[in-house]
Amino acid sequence: MWFYIKLAWRNIFRNKRRTIITSIAIGIGLASLIFTAALMEGMINNMIQSATSSFLGQAQVHGGDFRETQDVEKTVNNLDQVTAELKQDPLVTNYTLRTLSMGMIASPANMNAALLVGVEPGSERFLSKIADTLQKGSFFDGANPRDMVIGSKLAEDLEVSPGDRVVATVSQAKTGDLAQEMFRISGIYQFGIKEMDSGLAFIRLKKAQQMLGIGDRVHQIAIKFKDIKTADMPGISFWKKYSRFDNEAVPWTILLPQMKAVLGMVDISLLIMAVILGCVVVFGIINSLFMSLYERMFEFAIMRAVGTRPAGLRKLIVLEAGALAVISIILGSALGMILTLIFAHSGIDYRGIEFAGTTFHELIHPVMNKWHYVVFPVGVLFFTMLVAIYPAWVAGRLRIATALRKSL
Amino acid sequence: MEKKIEKQVPIIVTENVKKTYEDNGVEVQAVRGVDLTISAGEFTAIVGPSGSGKTTFLNIISGLDTITSGRVLLNGKPLSEIKGSELSDFRRDHIGFIFQAYNLIPVLTVEENVEYIMLLQGIPKAERHKRVMEILADVGLREYAQRLPAKLSGGQQQRVAVARAMVSNPDLILADEPTANLDSKTGSELLDMMKELNEKKGMTFLFSTHDEMIMSRARRVITLKDGIIAADVLKK
Repeated sequence: MWFYIKLAWRNIFRNKRRTIITSIAIGIGLASLIFTAALMEGMINNMIQSATSSFLGQAQVHGGDFRETQDVEKTVNNLDQVTAELKQDPLVTNYTLRTLSMGMIASPANMNAALLVGVEPGSERFLSKIADTLQKGSFFDGANPRDMVIGSKLAEDLEVSPGDRVVATVSQAKTGDLAQEMFRISGIYQFGIKEMDSGLAFIRLKKAQQMLGIGDRVHQIAIKFKDIKTADMPGISFWKKYSRFDNEAVPWTILLPQMKAVLGMVDISLLIMAVILGCVVVFGIINSLFMSLYERMFEFAIMRAVGTRPAGLRKLIVLEAGALAVISIILGSALGMILTLIFAHSGIDYRGIEFAGTTFHELIHPVMNKWHYVVFPVGVLFFTMLVAIYPAWVAGRLRIATALRKSL
Repeated sequence: MEKKIEKQVPIIVTENVKKTYEDNGVEVQAVRGVDLTISAGEFTAIVGPSGSGKTTFLNIISGLDTITSGRVLLNGKPLSEIKGSELSDFRRDHIGFIFQAYNLIPVLTVEENVEYIMLLQGIPKAERHKRVMEILADVGLREYAQRLPAKLSGGQQQRVAVARAMVSNPDLILADEPTANLDSKTGSELLDMMKELNEKKGMTFLFSTHDEMIMSRARRVITLKDGIIAADVLKK
């Protein structure tokens, strides 16, 4: 085998120009695949980050079937124990408590329905980007319990600005009685996502609990992990642990199924790219190998005449394809790495663009992933050697006498 | 490596061998019933004009080409009974080839070209190296062992081809126009060397040629004409 490897390696350098051109073609295909995968991964990270850090959190704990019913009575059970455990949990870096209830917000000019969210400003800053996206005013900077932070679209609809007063009305737990409170607009944010800018209003947690009549209870605990990938590990014990006491712990992948579907689409896009690359490899390699094969018919005939078995020739052709693949892989991986490093450093600006319900707030940085330099090159090598089977089969069927007669 | 000349021991026997093939839709009768016996140690030339069937006949007796009818026995074994990879192994172990030109694998050194057949035979590296160096000394190319064929003259390349053909000690060496691409001086030197190796090692050489130099050195000259033996002369 070693002899054939040596022979194959030397053979591909007999026509250096052809080898270089073919290798560059395949290498560019591989580099494109590596870079696209890196960009996709960066984009996914950015999207997940945007989606989860805007407001959602990377995981949430709710009481019972709150997610389905949105019933204000369905609060998180055994809250003290759950929060005590979250505080100690090595997977968790931050968490925050929220109440959620639909309500009406009325200004002197207008009235709108909105999701009234009770938050703890201190811990909320670690879980959401509301404070970072403020257009006007501040995010609960003072001690006024009647501060309210709303989205830019809602402010536009209500025709209010910081300092203006609004009245919020919610339905209380248990009794269903309406509770009304006056608030002062302290800040206006703009996420760039229509639903968030028009449908959310934030007030202090204590005030929300008081309005809803739920005591110290909350509807949601939003969680941030030390490693975002934790949310995509359905098998870990975390989910069971926090789903006790008739609570439900769910990752963002369940909270945002549309995002998960988008990620699936990204995988399919990569697969399609890989197939296109495969076609480039197929035609590049087959063309190169057949040219080389027909140029060397006499030589192959001599090799066969002196005792090389057909399998030996076939092996040689497949190994030549493999050698060509190795050169292409070196070129392609280097090019892919350089491209990825450059753009990982500078970033690609998609800011402000909304995709699949998520707005990119930050530059996209392609991700250097070692598996891209293993899986794709191995795929190219395998695919190359696989397609070489056809020219190898043709070489193995060589009619020696005919090849000797025609070649001279 | 030394082989005792066993005269009268038949290496090749052909019985009424015929070969017909199609060339651009035209049926060509290349060999039309050849009966021939080549014995061990012979230095024989098959001569004849172009298209007389010399090369086809050589291809047939080496198993490179099939026959339409008749029988070919190599060392008493019918070639028709050997198929596929076995036939490759049979040629590797029993027949040495020297072609007109481009005999060698250009990316292999002289040593690697000569050892190639032994490598196919699975002979250990040390043994291969020893035998390559011996045969390269016999053909006067020991110091060229690490050169690539492109760095050798035409005559030197043919000497390497002779070395490769002989190194595995085959029963028969077939040489198809081995001097066709050489000038007369180089061709003459090559033939003298082959003749010497034939006498020294007792190897059987069978040439297909137009070359007067080969005919003059051959002990037996078989003339093919239109696919049949027109003359078979054994020199004294």
